[in-house]
Amino acid sequence: MNTHTHTPQSVATSETLSKLSRRDFLSTTAAMTGGLFIGYGLLANDAHGAVSTTQVNLWLNVGSDNSITFSVGTADMGQGSAQGLAAALCEELMVDPANVKIVTGKPSLAVPAPISASINTAGSGMIKNYFWRTRDAGAAAREMLISAAMTAMGDSNRDNYVVQNGVIINTSNAQRRTYGDVAASAATLPVPTNATLVSNLIYIGQRVKRQDIPLKVDGSAVYGIDVRIPNMVYAVIKHSPTFGGVLATTPERPRGAIAVVPTQVVAGTARGSNALGNVNALAVVAETTWDAMRLSKAIKPNWTIPVNASVLNTAQFKKDARTLLRSGTPYTGLNVPGTVYTVETVGTPKSAIGTSTKKLDLTYTLPYLSHACMEVLNCTVNYVAGVSCEVWAPTQAAKNVLILVATLTGLSVDRITVNTTFLGGGLGRKIELDFISQAVQVAMAINRPVKLMWSREEDFRHDMYRPMAAVRVQAGLGAGSVINGWMYRNVSPSLLGQRGATLSAKGDSQAYEASQDLPYNFGARSTEWVMHGSPIPVGFWRSVGASINTFAVESAIDEAANAAGFEPYLYRRMLLSDPRWIAVLEAAANASGWTSAAPAGKAKGIAIGAAFNSICAQVVEVKKGAKGPIVTRVWIAIDCGICVNPDQVEAQLMGGVIHGMNAALYGQQVCSNGVAQADNFNHNRVTLLHEAPEVKVIIIAGAIDRSRAIGGVGELGVPTFAPALANAWFKLTKTRVRDLPFLPGSTMSD
Amino acid sequence: MPNYNLNVNHKDYNVAVSSAEMPLLWVLRDVLGLTGTKYGCGIEICGACTVLVNGKPEKSCDLSVASAASKRITTVEGLSANKSHPAQVAWINHQVPQCGYCQSGVLMKVAGAINSGKHGAEISKEIDNICVCGTYQRMKKAVLGL
Repeated sequence: MNTHTHTPQSVATSETLSKLSRRDFLSTTAAMTGGLFIGYGLLANDAHGAVSTTQVNLWLNVGSDNSITFSVGTADMGQGSAQGLAAALCEELMVDPANVKIVTGKPSLAVPAPISASINTAGSGMIKNYFWRTRDAGAAAREMLISAAMTAMGDSNRDNYVVQNGVIINTSNAQRRTYGDVAASAATLPVPTNATLVSNLIYIGQRVKRQDIPLKVDGSAVYGIDVRIPNMVYAVIKHSPTFGGVLATTPERPRGAIAVVPTQVVAGTARGSNALGNVNALAVVAETTWDAMRLSKAIKPNWTIPVNASVLNTAQFKKDARTLLRSGTPYTGLNVPGTVYTVETVGTPKSAIGTSTKKLDLTYTLPYLSHACMEVLNCTVNYVAGVSCEVWAPTQAAKNVLILVATLTGLSVDRITVNTTFLGGGLGRKIELDFISQAVQVAMAINRPVKLMWSREEDFRHDMYRPMAAVRVQAGLGAGSVINGWMYRNVSPSLLGQRGATLSAKGDSQAYEASQDLPYNFGARSTEWVMHGSPIPVGFWRSVGASINTFAVESAIDEAANAAGFEPYLYRRMLLSDPRWIAVLEAAANASGWTSAAPAGKAKGIAIGAAFNSICAQVVEVKKGAKGPIVTRVWIAIDCGICVNPDQVEAQLMGGVIHGMNAALYGQQVCSNGVAQADNFNHNRVTLLHEAPEVKVIIIAGAIDRSRAIGGVGELGVPTFAPALANAWFKLTKTRVRDLPFLPGSTMSD
Repeated sequence: MPNYNLNVNHKDYNVAVSSAEMPLLWVLRDVLGLTGTKYGCGIEICGACTVLVNGKPEKSCDLSVASAASKRITTVEGLSANKSHPAQVAWINHQVPQCGYCQSGVLMKVAGAINSGKHGAEISKEIDNICVCGTYQRMKKAVLGL
């Protein structure tokens, strides 16, 4: 997903990074007490205008007390990327990773940015964007510390010095200085811009253990929902059950409640049906969460239901989508539903298909999907009217929280503190601000510290869902069974459109990602995206557009292989010439024993795709169960450029596979007369331990070298699962599943 | 307000709550401040709220404070003093948690299985908790040594 949700133009890609010179990099803040501080980050256009030019997202501090602190601007939602960057830092500082304290940065809008700032946790981007910057900063700090030690010891021959776990040793005379001894004087030195990096790596590429894990086995990790502050009360949110509903009259405060507070949709939270200014929810405040929940269930507010509620139905959305697969109006500069956007055109695919000997015309559909983070949405606020506001939240977008709080309270940002807690899953949902805005509104209304929480039912029913989609693929097979014409059209609601973005003639980048620039030798091709008009709020969901497009593309490739009479793996090999794609495809196939016969009653399917600068291929083995497919084994190969911590890459891919499996087999949010139907895990079936396949991960990574493009990992396990499953199922049963999920209407009792 | 004596992690508490129906989960979290036990679904499906009641795993989201009174309650905070319970050690060694939110409940389930004399792969069969991060494979591996 994008690092900025407001302006797609300002997405921090590695391309924009490489254009940056080192002038943006390494700015010291020696004014701080307590040793050496170095901050660094991106120089990027800020999504919110002229509030900041230099973004210092990460900083390190070598304290005079020998402490080492590393502040990372992103949230910890289990992805382990901060830990990966810490390993990179420790490599250069030559200290044991166990000696470094990792903290989560707080957002700031100051100019220049202070030694802490936060950025959105998104786009599988932390290692990709900050690995080399972290190493450069660590190396610069080390050389400044050594320089200071050289002065202190009166020997200016750099060759005489080594560092052992934060102790600088002069090998000619065995004199020693700890980092702490020289940190203050190091802070007065200029920052070198070309410090040599460590070449004999001992942490990077190794299975360094994560610091957050011990906190997650004894209840000491504080998630947003665990925050407790003095004099705090508890609020539980209750939305209009119908999308777009508005509170008609505020119900009376029930006995036992402290307050009932209507909350409205504010700037930055308006999405689809949730229009700006709508009072679409109310919060019931009580002495405990349970009391707030109980009282919230008891009240029956009167909602004004929008006139279009009766057409907000899943069946209608699908029908509209299917119509738009064959119609639509040309792009005229306006972002309106029904507009056909041209993502790419090469040659004349229509005529190429027309003259082909075999023609395919295939339609795939995918449903809305809930995020279903284990930790429901919540936010804690301590607001002192006109004086200060402190917020604790499991957020993927702390800086956006800061801006929102400033807008809502009218306080200047220096009076606002935003604390990012641990996240019990983020998955893209916690980049949104709706739950934050509600908590701030309640705190301002009641003048008491408050923790606002959504019940699980509210969390399911008022998500910003992975968009539904219909995709049509037309392909023509020519001589030698090659594809000589490919026409791809994705019809789906616009994620960026719902966020007020003005789309270019190519359309919504979030919708078409992983459908364009495919390295298959298609001959002529066209890729289009058509805006669907459904107002159901949509959002970023782990792997975003790739979760849709990779299913359609890789299913269609398999169908083309079948039509051509080719074996699916060899067919892909024939159509591919990119050596990295071929290597990844081969790695997954070989690991799975692709060429040897599958065990009786089982079959394997394969799929490949790229997202977030990484390439991933997956082989899924399946057998028949009473109700449908049972996934028995999975092999997943990734080329992520370089691998900082194989243990975490494996963990992310294993988890991504399960996430993809939940979606492919069961995932769907059905809308009926404007009301989301699945309201708890009983109607949102997920994979349990006894159903989880063994996942074998193969990592293809090169030398740790600046010439290797670094790719993301966190979202990569998801997109290729569904097509690999559909392809395996076809091989086993000769039934082609083109509509997800495989098992609609599943419950946890199945 | 009704009043109950609770024994949690070998400590005695007297709690006053609004209703005898208040689930133990919210007494632990909001009244006693023991936030290691998590709210996940509220309908006894996901298992994030699992605690031990007289040594046996129970979902605390639907266990009333009245029925928990006078029983021996163990939460994840009471599993050991220093992360030394064999399940905790195994979870760290195998780097099981990702977001970690469901793991308190999973660990209580594992501890309960160990209490009832189960070992290794038998423990896996007891784990019916929902983990959206999908850490199941490492859970299965981690219990093998228990």
